[in-house]
Amino acid sequence: MTVRTDPENNEPRALFALADFNDRRVLEIGCGDGRLTWHYADKAAHVTAIDPFEESITRAKENTPDNLKSRVEFRHIGFDDFATASESSIFDIAILSWSL
Amino acid sequence: MVHALEEIRRLLKPGGCLIDIHPIREAKLIKVHHGNKILFAEPDPSYCGEDIKKAEEALAQVIQCGLFITERDDQFDLPIYASSVAELQDFFAEIEAYDDSPKDETVEARMMELFTRVGEIMKTTGNEVEVAYHERARITRLNPNPRQ
Repeated sequence: MTVRTDPENNEPRALFALADFNDRRVLEIGCGDGRLTWHYADKAAHVTAIDPFEESITRAKENTPDNLKSRVEFRHIGFDDFATASESSIFDIAILSWSL
Repeated sequence: MVHALEEIRRLLKPGGCLIDIHPIREAKLIKVHHGNKILFAEPDPSYCGEDIKKAEEALAQVIQCGLFITERDDQFDLPIYASSVAELQDFFAEIEAYDDSPKDETVEARMMELFTRVGEIMKTTGNEVEVAYHERARITRLNPNPRQ
């Protein structure tokens, strides 16, 4: 058996109760290995998922399902650097994923 | 943290929202499950709520200064299940590899002692027993304040 995190899907259920991801442009800060990203990415127009830990991002990229590759962009970058290089008013939803 | 929240506000389109997910300020539990029964439950001795307190203070500050408005929040359980203590320890070791904060030897020793007891309970219980790390989280939807 492998370690199972949130097999009851409590986290995505709580997320969907608070936001509609359909056709939204999403920024996920602290995406880790994409555990939460996979749950909503198929609904979003585009997802930018960032994390400062390279190993997590490498794993997230490796595990990206084929059908999501065109709409999910995983980036190894800290939030401060990402924000500095980003224009204003570009995302519909920002998720601070266990990272504040 | 406050600066990061200000930057998030800048990156959001008008009508956008911020979803914050973070653990609540209470000790996480280490449990042993046997089917629907909980055979053992004790708080994680390594728990320290200082980071969570800082995060909550930063959120409160941006709400107080009118940058964001809390629209709604909720709580949920985030359990992590493993079939052995070793499996759970490996999982944590992978996460802690990113954590460069200094380790407290006393806490580490208490954690090892707890895991030893959990391992013994699992061994004597036999099949279909799992160890779980039980964390509770708060999820909040914050909308940018259009007046700011």
